[in-house]
Amino acid sequence: MSTMLDDRPATGTGNGGVPARRAVVRWAWRLFRREWRQQLLVLALITVAVAATFLGATVATNSQGRPAGTFGTAQDLANFHGNDPHLATEIAALQHRWGRTDVIENQTIQFPGSTGTYDLRAQDPHGAFGPPMLSLIQGRYPVTAAQVAVTPGVASQFGLHVGRAWRVGGTTRTVTGIVQNPQSLLDEFALVLPGQVRAPTTVSVLFDARNVPAQSLGPNVVTRQQVASSNPINPETITLALATLGMLLIGLVAVGGFTVLAQRRLRSLGMLGALGATDRHVRLVVRANGVVVGVAGTVLGAVLGFLAWVAYRPHVESSSHHLIGVFALPWVVIGPAMVLAVLATYLAAGRPARSISRIPVVAALSGRPAPPKQVHRSAIPGVVIAAVAFGLLAYAGANSVSTSGQTPAFAPLAMIAGLVLLVVAVILLAPLCLALLGRLAAHTPVAARLALRDLSRYRARSGSALAAISLGVLISVIISVQSSARFANPLDYAGPNLTSSQLVVYPPGGNGPSATPPTASQLQAAPAAARQLAASLGSGRVLELDQAGATLERAEPGRNWDGPIFVATPALLRAFGIRPDQVHANADILTMRPGLPGLSKMQLLYGVNKNPGGATSFPCPPGQCLANPVIQGVSALPAGTSAPNTVVTEHAVHQLGLHTQVAGWFIQTAHPLTAAQIKSAEETAATADMTVETKSSIPSNNQIVDWATVFGLVLALGILAMSVGLIRSETASDLRTLTATGAGGGTRRALTAVTAGALGLLGAVLGTAAAYLGSVAWFVDDRFEGGLHALSAVPVTGLLVLLVAMPVAAAAGGCLFSGREPAALGRQPIE
Amino acid sequence: MSVRHALLALLSEGPKYGLQLREEFEARTGEVWPLNVGQVYTTLQRLERDGLVESDGSGDEGPQKGFQITGAGSAELAGWLHTPPDLSSPPRDELVMKVLVATQVPGVDVREVIQAHRRYLVQLMQQWTRIKEEEAGDDLNLALVVDAELFRLDAVVRWLDAADGRLKRAAADPAPVAAPAAAPLPRVRRRAGSRR
Amino acid sequence: MSILELRGVAKTYGDGAAEVHALDGVDLTVTAGQMVAVMGPSGSGKSTLLTIAGSLEEPDRGEVLVAGMALRELSRNARARLRRRTVGYVFQDFNLLPGLTAAENVALPLELDGVPGRTARGAALRALEEVGLSARAPHFPDQLSGGERQRVAIARAVAGERRLLLADEPSGALDSGNAEAVMRLIHSACKRGVAAVVVTHDAQLASWADRVVFLRDGKIVDQTMPMAGPESLLSQGQTP
Repeated sequence: MSTMLDDRPATGTGNGGVPARRAVVRWAWRLFRREWRQQLLVLALITVAVAATFLGATVATNSQGRPAGTFGTAQDLANFHGNDPHLATEIAALQHRWGRTDVIENQTIQFPGSTGTYDLRAQDPHGAFGPPMLSLIQGRYPVTAAQVAVTPGVASQFGLHVGRAWRVGGTTRTVTGIVQNPQSLLDEFALVLPGQVRAPTTVSVLFDARNVPAQSLGPNVVTRQQVASSNPINPETITLALATLGMLLIGLVAVGGFTVLAQRRLRSLGMLGALGATDRHVRLVVRANGVVVGVAGTVLGAVLGFLAWVAYRPHVESSSHHLIGVFALPWVVIGPAMVLAVLATYLAAGRPARSISRIPVVAALSGRPAPPKQVHRSAIPGVVIAAVAFGLLAYAGANSVSTSGQTPAFAPLAMIAGLVLLVVAVILLAPLCLALLGRLAAHTPVAARLALRDLSRYRARSGSALAAISLGVLISVIISVQSSARFANPLDYAGPNLTSSQLVVYPPGGNGPSATPPTASQLQAAPAAARQLAASLGSGRVLELDQAGATLERAEPGRNWDGPIFVATPALLRAFGIRPDQVHANADILTMRPGLPGLSKMQLLYGVNKNPGGATSFPCPPGQCLANPVIQGVSALPAGTSAPNTVVTEHAVHQLGLHTQVAGWFIQTAHPLTAAQIKSAEETAATADMTVETKSSIPSNNQIVDWATVFGLVLALGILAMSVGLIRSETASDLRTLTATGAGGGTRRALTAVTAGALGLLGAVLGTAAAYLGSVAWFVDDRFEGGLHALSAVPVTGLLVLLVAMPVAAAAGGCLFSGREPAALGRQPIE
Repeated sequence: MSVRHALLALLSEGPKYGLQLREEFEARTGEVWPLNVGQVYTTLQRLERDGLVESDGSGDEGPQKGFQITGAGSAELAGWLHTPPDLSSPPRDELVMKVLVATQVPGVDVREVIQAHRRYLVQLMQQWTRIKEEEAGDDLNLALVVDAELFRLDAVVRWLDAADGRLKRAAADPAPVAAPAAAPLPRVRRRAGSRR
Repeated sequence: MSILELRGVAKTYGDGAAEVHALDGVDLTVTAGQMVAVMGPSGSGKSTLLTIAGSLEEPDRGEVLVAGMALRELSRNARARLRRRTVGYVFQDFNLLPGLTAAENVALPLELDGVPGRTARGAALRALEEVGLSARAPHFPDQLSGGERQRVAIARAVAGERRLLLADEPSGALDSGNAEAVMRLIHSACKRGVAAVVVTHDAQLASWADRVVFLRDGKIVDQTMPMAGPESLLSQGQTP
């Protein structure tokens, strides 16, 4: 044994070096292995967050189009018009200058009866750069001029299969194969040999000009880098921002979790100190535990995320229209997110680690939880940071769109910084709110008093839970308020275009690009076709929509009028149940857009607009414009953005001599349209060269508010479910004493219910207050959105759910699940 | 008296001579319980008179005379082993008396008295423990006897500890003690006497 | 050679009306190979004496020297090092770290001191052998009986040439058989040169010590005299 002392470092730093750290970390690892169930909450949170980030980032980045869809393996792409007189010379110049090139000729052809197009494409399947843009599904590539390969879309449209003859581009060819562009499955084309396209619409030349500045390559050249970097707010940035926010929330919850865990291991840590561990060793145990939880959750989450991705990949391929490799993973996002998860747990364990190493060894050994420190933390830092946050948000709001129509570069930065600081302020102020709550406790019944006092005494745990709940509510309310404000804008009206039982048929050439103007016979046949279409849907209610050659405008900067203005024909008024006597005799405009009748500086433009795009002067010159038209609110008009939500009265049409024309037919059905009905309506319309519009996927304000509220509700209740148990377990011995003194299950239930309810309510109030104050700052000088007026649309139901129903549900849940004292929580899991 | 029953116990193993009985008695009690020869023979004669043992009838009194246990003797032994000793009346304990008296004598610090006794008792116990540590490792009987001594002394130490605590509390809160201080001694003595 | 020396050590908890003099001018010297028991009722300051001697707490007044080093002059880290190298603790009921095997528990203070894992493990196995538990080395604390746990704790407290063993009611939670085994181990450690201080209120356990110190209200009021050999007791008993 005497050799042993020789192995010890003589004096050193007194920390035992690597062997000591290894021993300490090993113990932390063993503790995690033995007690991972007690850390299930944090573990589950991290696993879910990492899995969600993994899947979300992978789906998001793989859903967007890829440069390879147009570039192949080339770095540069030159586009020329097919009718360019110098086409041949330019291609020859490129070939001469850069050597290898790949020339692709496209002739754009419209599918019959549809606005969709396909290309007749001349491309060498074994060209220098193009091969990634082609893959064979069936058959083979064309090898003679009389052969063609088509995409599945073209094949189904024309009923083609391998071996069939098909006349395209003026030549009859044999279909030899089914092909696709794996980078863009929406790319519909018919592939022929190079040189077979006689009248190309566009000609693309792929070539490699590495390390040559894009500008020097010519005006019609695009480089791969330009395409890749043109959009800074890409899915990667968004998912990474969301992941960061998620990890912040997890970190907050984890602080409470690790604090309780460290408290439970107080005696063990005291023993470690008695054995001669330094403070640094004790901190290392808690931190190592945090990192182990983080790493375990991250690895588990990554595996889960990958499995989910493998399962979900086919859906993404079909919806994003390009093939995706299993290992096409955005490590740029996943890597940092995984690091963030570990970092979040490491930092979350930092605070309990510091506080536990400060507890005297003797107190720790006896297992007495250190008396909560009476830190009278000042509210000033929180308030100051909140003020800075509001300032930044106000700046960002005021500059969201400048007078020149351009967003200043740092306005988005100010917005992000403002939001981050708002979150920081909430985190700083949350414990102080608990202190206030503790003061209220004196006048409540014993169970509530105990619960409230514990909340305010053990602020390290409850404070972080409260901050997390506040944060969830904050996000939810900000989304609701912003959405409500946006949807409440009566000028740039937002929302769903139609309801699911409404349909608009547009006449030939009335909507969408059309190569040829409609013939007179087509136009004549259109009304009958619309009625026939309505009949096929089982509806006799066809309303002709007449568009007036006029538009509304507000002579103010900011969002301006958007949407069609139809004529309030007697038929239209009847269709929506509006009696003629309900319309004021002098009304020029009827609208269902709330708030529109009260707006100042409105004018109805009907002449030639001499100042397109910019704000006109007010009042505008008479003869082409009517200043301050009489606008009457009529709530019976339909709400959809494509429906006649705003109409000009016949009185105004006559007075101003407005020119009107048939713009479409509005069909109302008794039942929501099915997908099959919509498809057949589209086909029927196509035969008459008409197009239809049905409900799009744009959500309504109510849907957005509902989703945001559900998000806030689930998040808050989830955090409560996880953290109330932790907070109460802290005082499990109090509970035993209470039980021993004769308190029944009712008291226990009341304790947990009050804890959950109070935390929920406080979190909801704090989050809502912060969200509203932030929104006020944002809108206070926002001329673009119309200033504070935008906040008048209050998402009442959403707020009620968060402020009333959520705390009540939390309290009820606490009451339900706490009657029986969980033995595992009360017991000291030691030896 | 238990010498009588100890001899019966030895004889229950089989017939033995008088001298052999004395040696075995001392050996089994760890040599801490000395017995003289006269005591052995007097006891044996009484046992024979009561019909609990019988001699082998060789007639001569002496170390060579053999004894064996009778049926009545076995019954008596079994009955004695199962009968608890009379522990209900307090023994006339000198130490208890000294402490009681010390509370009455002015100028004497009772707690000093108690500590003196405690120190002595603990010293005794240290000696017994030393015996146990050094010699009783393999000798079961010795270990049992030493344990008995240790537990007996320990009980006294505990009583001293309890008395110490009681006196300390009484000193801290003198009011309730003032009244009983005059009366209890004779009453205890009287009750102890009446039981004997 | 004195391993532990307390000079005029005083410690007070609380203040005002709630002031408690846990220790009040305690002088105590323990030399190498000596086993000292500190006896006293609850609240007499026994445990405080032990935590101060083991550098877990600092005295308000007085001087503590462990192996010749004055604790007052040591930094927090230096005191931790002292606990790793010189002092071994044995507590009443909670001694081993859950999650570490018996051998790892014993090796822990050595590893904390920077001893390479293999060497520390060797020393731990030797220490376990001394307490007769080599077979239990790979077992976790919850697989050991109370007595075994306490014996592992003693092994840990003496492993690696530790010179001062501090035990607070080391057999308080054990039955008499296990208690005796524990005291026997401590005493045999002392025979190998370890100085031990055992705090207890149990006279039977205290009687294992070479010297018993009586603590009352934070003061040492008495101690046992150097005894005569055990033979005196037997010869004394044999006289009728």
